[in-house]
Amino acid sequence: MFLHNYIYRLKCIIRDKEFLFWTLLFPIILATLFNFAFSNITEAEKFTRLNIAVVDNEEFRQNTALQRAIKAAANSSGDKDQEGLFNIRYTSKEEGDKLLEDREIEGYIYLDNGIKLVVKESGLSQSIIKGFMDHFMQLSSTLETIIRKDPQSMERGILDKAEAAINYLKEVAPSKSSPDIVVNYFYNLIAMACMYGGFWGLKEVTVIQANLSSQGARINIAPIHKFKIFIVCVLAAVTVQLFEILLLLAYLALVLKISFGNQIGYIIFTCIVGTITGVTFGAFVASVVKKGEGVKIGILIGSSMTMSFLAGMMYDKMKYIISTKVPVIGYLNPANLITDCFYSLYYYGINTRFFINIGVLCVFIVFFSLCTYLILRRQKYASL
Amino acid sequence: MVIKVENLTKRYGDLIALDNFNLEVNHGEIFGLLGPNGSGKTTAINCILSLLKYDKGTVKIYNKPMAPDAYDIKEKIGLVMQNVAVFEELTVYENVDYFCGLYIKNKKLRLKLVEEAIDFVGISYYKDFYPKMLSGGLLRRLNIACGIAHQPKLIIFDEPTVAVDPQSRINILEGIQKLNKAGATIIYTSHYMEEVEQICTRIGIMDKGRIIAIGTKEELKDMISSGEKITVELFSMDNKILEDIKGLPHIVSAEYRDNSLIVRSSKGKNNLVSVLDYLKSNDIDFGRIYSEPPTLNDVFLEITGKELRD
Repeated sequence: MFLHNYIYRLKCIIRDKEFLFWTLLFPIILATLFNFAFSNITEAEKFTRLNIAVVDNEEFRQNTALQRAIKAAANSSGDKDQEGLFNIRYTSKEEGDKLLEDREIEGYIYLDNGIKLVVKESGLSQSIIKGFMDHFMQLSSTLETIIRKDPQSMERGILDKAEAAINYLKEVAPSKSSPDIVVNYFYNLIAMACMYGGFWGLKEVTVIQANLSSQGARINIAPIHKFKIFIVCVLAAVTVQLFEILLLLAYLALVLKISFGNQIGYIIFTCIVGTITGVTFGAFVASVVKKGEGVKIGILIGSSMTMSFLAGMMYDKMKYIISTKVPVIGYLNPANLITDCFYSLYYYGINTRFFINIGVLCVFIVFFSLCTYLILRRQKYASL
Repeated sequence: MVIKVENLTKRYGDLIALDNFNLEVNHGEIFGLLGPNGSGKTTAINCILSLLKYDKGTVKIYNKPMAPDAYDIKEKIGLVMQNVAVFEELTVYENVDYFCGLYIKNKKLRLKLVEEAIDFVGISYYKDFYPKMLSGGLLRRLNIACGIAHQPKLIIFDEPTVAVDPQSRINILEGIQKLNKAGATIIYTSHYMEEVEQICTRIGIMDKGRIIAIGTKEELKDMISSGEKITVELFSMDNKILEDIKGLPHIVSAEYRDNSLIVRSSKGKNNLVSVLDYLKSNDIDFGRIYSEPPTLNDVFLEITGKELRD
């Protein structure tokens, strides 16, 4: 009896083209669009070397310290990931003016009774050049003072040490994964897809309720316990939805090359819990809302999208705003909890935060299932 | 006794859908529940099947109180609903198999019963079709197959021929009689009096949530004072003739419309002869003549003062 019902419920679900679109194709299409939209985000954040010029006059040729500093800034520091700051041209003052006018350089350094920086406009690039200049002048002044007070320091190689510019702070990432704001959008997308499992939950509750469908009336007069048929229907819905989520996950990981870290077992576990949450949420909406199927679908889509929005799918800062201003909303939002599971797995690995999220999701599953069953078990209807 | 319903009352707010509804259905009957739309037929069926809550009354099926968890009773019942209750995503065969599987656990037996049900309603050719590919009549037949595949002892047909073509209607009515001959007790609800007259062994006429008359069709017709209805084709008529005919013995009413004289008589013999004698003796030419016995509509009309299809 169980297998008979389960197989036929699976057939009914996988042949429902409309709901298949929303639960499978729509997230895949959205993921593809996200991929197009976000492919240049990280490119824009990459630093490109600034074009500057140095007026090669007598004063510059005598200032060996500045020459060394500029040469050092122009070249890679030796770190593969860290390129030099500047592309440098050595020009006359007139040529420097022309290059600046033609916007071929951001500014030029000119020595005339001191170091001067000539720029055409102010902006980030110009600030970087000025920062470099300020740093050089500050360092020069410091070294001059030290050498004046302690001429022996020259012999001890103070100039070489100053150029070495040792950084005494080391940046350590909390996880093995490199920070990437784009992955959050895709985690949100999976969370939304999990919540769209509500379509199947809604469908399954509709077909077993006599007051919602004529098939439900036929099932209700059959000699079969309501709880058994409810469990079979939910299991069939979870099976199909989980398969769809894993397909989406595979598409994201293998086709779009989205990184999920290395906790594959826990990622699949999160998908399972998220899927059950979505399906039971749909069942809950179907049983609680006393309106037509169209209204229920509208409520389901609307609530799923709102949850996804609050979890940061449309605006990446939203997750942060919610977690700092009204953290309770974050815990009451299943889409946010699912997103946060992926997020914490990616950045921090298995930790308390992950298990708290999973725990709250399980509470939601129990709540949705219990409410649905309490409404479904009402064995007679007031009207059909 | 298969069904015994006593004082069943169902209210929707101020509207009384069933008003102390009583019913007894015996083994082997085809019991017809006849009434206009909104008379409470479907509500009565849903209450009997424990799908609907009711305010008062008792329902017993096979001498046991009917309840939502009365699984031993439920397995003996088949329901063919007014609405086609099948899954669009399943083929004809799969639909019948699915619903049969809710009753029959033995797979081998179930496959046999499914084949039989599909053959019985004459849709074997369409086994692999999806419901949306079927005509209205074929859909109704599929609906029946889903309700009877598990070979129930009691089958309830709730207006199974609504919006059905004549050929499918004949097929359905013949099928119901065959099921009855095979041993099933049938409850058949309809607002088509011709269908009820054709197949039902006993009939309950419903109006405003109550059974207002019950019996065989002959018993029902005997309950009323109306006799035959005589229609005579006449090409001219004056008021004097009409008044004279109204004055003949046992004649209740006479009217002339569309070149026809329509005469209704009370019970009695030779009413047709006396009308024809009058026409002959007054040298009135007439064409074709029809004489119809009273119908269930006449029964309903006389009891309620309105037509069955009002």
